[in-house]
Amino acid sequence: MASSIKIRSQQLDDYTEIKVLLSHPMENGRNRDVNGILIPAHFIQEMIIELNNKTIITADLGGSVSKNPFFTFRLKNGNSGQPLTVRWIDNLGQSDSAELILE
Amino acid sequence: MRNIATLTASASLFHAKLADATWLAQHFSSSEFSTLFDQLFAGHTIIDSHEVNISLPEIAENGAVVPITISSSLDHIDKIYILVEKNPTPLACEFELSKDVVVYITARIKMAESCNVVIIAQQEDYLLRNQKWVTVMQGGCGTG
Repeated sequence: MASSIKIRSQQLDDYTEIKVLLSHPMENGRNRDVNGILIPAHFIQEMIIELNNKTIITADLGGSVSKNPFFTFRLKNGNSGQPLTVRWIDNLGQSDSAELILE
Repeated sequence: MRNIATLTASASLFHAKLADATWLAQHFSSSEFSTLFDQLFAGHTIIDSHEVNISLPEIAENGAVVPITISSSLDHIDKIYILVEKNPTPLACEFELSKDVVVYITARIKMAESCNVVIIAQQEDYLLRNQKWVTVMQGGCGTG
């Protein structure tokens, strides 16, 4: 299965820009399907970003985050060649992780 | 201690780590904005500040995807909360940032109807607040 996580990084003059796209329905439990049946809540609760095995960003999320969450962050410079890891876990206990070596 | 744990991280350790994590159901449950706000921030002094900038569309055509950018010239902020005043689940995200991170975040949030989006930035004991009104043309079904 393809990874649910896409990470892009770009070294700029003053910072490193990180873009993270997570493929996830982010259902808040209040939507109904075509037959009027309530779709159970299914959303990412936590995303953790580590740089060089050290947690730099923890994001707690709720059902008010849009489907397929997309985030941009900026890191202070000096991280070239270091691994950046993104992990998430959702309310059903499903999880995924991906790593990118910063250019 | 945390570094040692992460250096030997494996899939199972990761789950153990997440189990200890701080995601709090009561922060993300359905509640009135004022009730949740008190629960999160009661007892703290909140300073209205434009040192934390919010960029949001004035009019959102589609409430299911509203782009938001939060930035600041401050060197560091410990925590950033994004709250949507009239969503059934007002708290959208809660970010904890280390000192390696610039105070700059973009995200996409759901908005059920026109209302204020409130940002609280926590730096040690100080809470800085900024907010912006967004007119929502079409609240996505069941958004928020």
